[in-house]
Amino acid sequence: MTNLSYDEAAHMFRRMGFGGHKDDINDLVARGREGAVDYLINYEAIDNSALDSTFRPIDYANFFQLQKMWVSRMIRTRRPFQEKLVLFWHNHFATARTKVDLSVLMYIQNETLRQHALDRFDTLLLKVSQDPAMLVWLDGLTNAAGRPNLNFARELQELFSMGINDVVTGEANYTEKDVQEIARAFTGWGYKLKKKNKDYAVFKLKGADHDNGVKEVYGQSANFSGQDIITIICARRATARFLVKKLFDFFVYPLTSSPQDKATIEKFADVYMASDHSFKATARAIFASDEFFSDRARFALIKNPLELILGTIHMLDMPFDTPAAAGNNNYYVRSQAMGLEIFNPPDVGGWELDLGWINTATLLERYNFANDLLSRRALSSAEFGVPVVTIELLRRFTDASPQKTVENFLFALGPLKVSPETLGILTDYLQTNDAGERVEFVVDDATIDKTVRGLVRLIMCLPHYQLN
Amino acid sequence: MSITRRQFIKRNAVGMASASLLLPELFLSRAYGQAAPNPDRKILVVIQLDGGNDGLNTVIPYTDSRYYALRPNLSFKESELKDAQGQSTIISDRFGLHPSMGGLKGLYDAGRVAIVLGAGDTMLPSGSHFSSRDVMHTASLDGNTKGEGWLGRYLSQTLAEKTGVRALAIGGGLTKSFDASRAIAAAVPNFEAYNFKTDPLYPGNANNQLNAFRACNGESFAEGSFAGSIARMGVEAAGTASKINSAPSRYRSTVVYPTGSNIADRFKMIAQIILAVEEAELFHIQFGFFDHHGRQIPADRNKLAGDHAVQLKELCDAVKPFYNDMAEHGLADNVTLMTWSEFGRTARENGSLGTDHGSSSVMFVIGNAVRGGLYGQQPSLESADLDAATNPKTHVDFRSVYATILDGWLGVDSVSILGRRFEDVGFFG
Repeated sequence: MTNLSYDEAAHMFRRMGFGGHKDDINDLVARGREGAVDYLINYEAIDNSALDSTFRPIDYANFFQLQKMWVSRMIRTRRPFQEKLVLFWHNHFATARTKVDLSVLMYIQNETLRQHALDRFDTLLLKVSQDPAMLVWLDGLTNAAGRPNLNFARELQELFSMGINDVVTGEANYTEKDVQEIARAFTGWGYKLKKKNKDYAVFKLKGADHDNGVKEVYGQSANFSGQDIITIICARRATARFLVKKLFDFFVYPLTSSPQDKATIEKFADVYMASDHSFKATARAIFASDEFFSDRARFALIKNPLELILGTIHMLDMPFDTPAAAGNNNYYVRSQAMGLEIFNPPDVGGWELDLGWINTATLLERYNFANDLLSRRALSSAEFGVPVVTIELLRRFTDASPQKTVENFLFALGPLKVSPETLGILTDYLQTNDAGERVEFVVDDATIDKTVRGLVRLIMCLPHYQLN
Repeated sequence: MSITRRQFIKRNAVGMASASLLLPELFLSRAYGQAAPNPDRKILVVIQLDGGNDGLNTVIPYTDSRYYALRPNLSFKESELKDAQGQSTIISDRFGLHPSMGGLKGLYDAGRVAIVLGAGDTMLPSGSHFSSRDVMHTASLDGNTKGEGWLGRYLSQTLAEKTGVRALAIGGGLTKSFDASRAIAAAVPNFEAYNFKTDPLYPGNANNQLNAFRACNGESFAEGSFAGSIARMGVEAAGTASKINSAPSRYRSTVVYPTGSNIADRFKMIAQIILAVEEAELFHIQFGFFDHHGRQIPADRNKLAGDHAVQLKELCDAVKPFYNDMAEHGLADNVTLMTWSEFGRTARENGSLGTDHGSSSVMFVIGNAVRGGLYGQQPSLESADLDAATNPKTHVDFRSVYATILDGWLGVDSVSILGRRFEDVGFFG
């Protein structure tokens, strides 16, 4: 078994989940590299039933409830990779409530993504395409024989499967004519809403609206159905390459157009092709790879707002909420202010990752979230979305040595590696009074409540802490 | 040139500390007020109509029978070209503004609005929102859209002579147009949250917090690294937050902006920042959802209640008070507005009471410095002149509009920003 270091296990939790606490990280270390990857990916083997039962009373038609529910699930789940993957797919198949309008359809799509997150890509793409939210979002409902609507046909190819150009060869993957012909194949698609134990939808083909003529797609002519088109697209190597690139950009490191990175894409595109388009096999190969564990990958991405917020909670092992208050958190509000409103991506292209999260306003939000979190001493309804950081929690990391105290928090919140200068600045901060004079660091509750709180806030404002 | 409060304080800080005690009270009170207009100040407000605005239903070719043939449901008849007050929105013997654009008609009649017809991308046209937007943000000549935005290049190039908070994206995130290798643009969604907070229980510790924050983020990080970009921007954000968020408290105006309008709120923010931050010169607003594949008009065919109409109205009803606000502060000669959108729509309506991704659209350039009127060339809607998706031709490259603004308004050589000469569209001078 390949060894798994503590730093590597922490890296896995940051990427395949929303950060981990020391005990969880040590548990992963004991499994070794392959064992740890399998544990996180084979999440269906992890009993999560307690979680599902806590969400029963939630009104899915209430959009804010829905947002809270999903964020709460991200925090409380015992299957971190499952929720991270659903977030990946939500970004990939970016659909926004602003146009879909009915929250329940966003809920149904979220369940569809969760149900098929590790499926064959053909199955996932078909299920999402037939799902009501997508049919509303990209105007599939009004796409009819003789009066095609091109919206879905274009994004299906540009954003959901292959991209405009092959990410390895640079060749055009389709023409404007393909967009027009493919739109015809998807005419007549609709759905019916059902309610049993929960809301769900059934796909329905409106025969009279479906174009049964011959369509010419990628140089082949036949009476293609929408499902035929999805099958054709999923069998193209361009799709395999595009998916690998999206996985790397989200989970590993941003790929360049260098020959080395193209070779990396090809290596994992081979896995997709050889495994009959199994997303799970492709993902497993990537997460167990040397690329994923390389130095290049470590802290190579910028945390998205949920990774930042939920990661802090997990890494410091904070009491986030109680089962009785399931879903009763406002983390989604903080995330929105930092640029990620779940169920409302900016457009069909999803969120721009990495530096896309960073501007003067979102950085101030990150700094202010840190401040609100650390200056929260008692529960109050005045502050949105921040739990209480207790003195007891801070005491656990505080040492008589100011430098050791800084190191303890850097370890818990990463582990983060900083320069000796940064370490010095933070250590000095602990030993400076309000008048700017150097004083001795005394471990008592007054110091912890003031200076140690301030220290943790400052660590959360380091550029290192914004990285994932 | 008058002295602003900020310059005043800054100058004091660098060596005139004791002099302030001797200054007459009159001078002080003036220093705390709003800046008097600087005749050389050139402000550009860029409005991105996001999603691909339907040019044909923005400036309506009401004498073109092909327009009516292609758009049996979406078209506006000549008799319908009047605003809610019954005032005609016709601007020439061939064109009328969409009836919900009455807010702009007065400015057009006063010769303050240039409309560039048939504007789009002649070099790298694309049906993709993302490719088209990236190309228009960067004015790329070869399809490479990494690197600086077109206004970011302007910021970088003029960094030696101009410093401070020069470029601000208002109401949301940052814009790629402002991406710059050296200059930093601000993104200001609102004033309320735009600050660097510290623990309210220990206000005395705030300086230590801020100093340690600056020191940690002021370290040198690897060139081009994410950490370096974040640190640089973080220091800038924390250092300029109070300058920006104090703008509303210093703002006085009799102009009333429409309430409940997102874009009117943002124009008001721009007015407030213009008055408070003397070096602010570029603003960007990303507005709307113009990707009307469907529901461009509602099923009941009430065209003035459609998404397209509502958004055009919101835009024009906000531009008007903003213009008046600037005029009230003696700044109407100092501000130019420009609109752009990543593409127009198909000339033929689709079956969803909407239109699909198209090619050319219209661009507006507005301001006292602008010579109003129609520019460019209206594309022919004859079948032979449309492509397979019914897209009309593009006659004016959007880069020409940028070039005209760079040369004629911002006062830099457009070739140095755009990489080659583009035709002057002629709406300045």
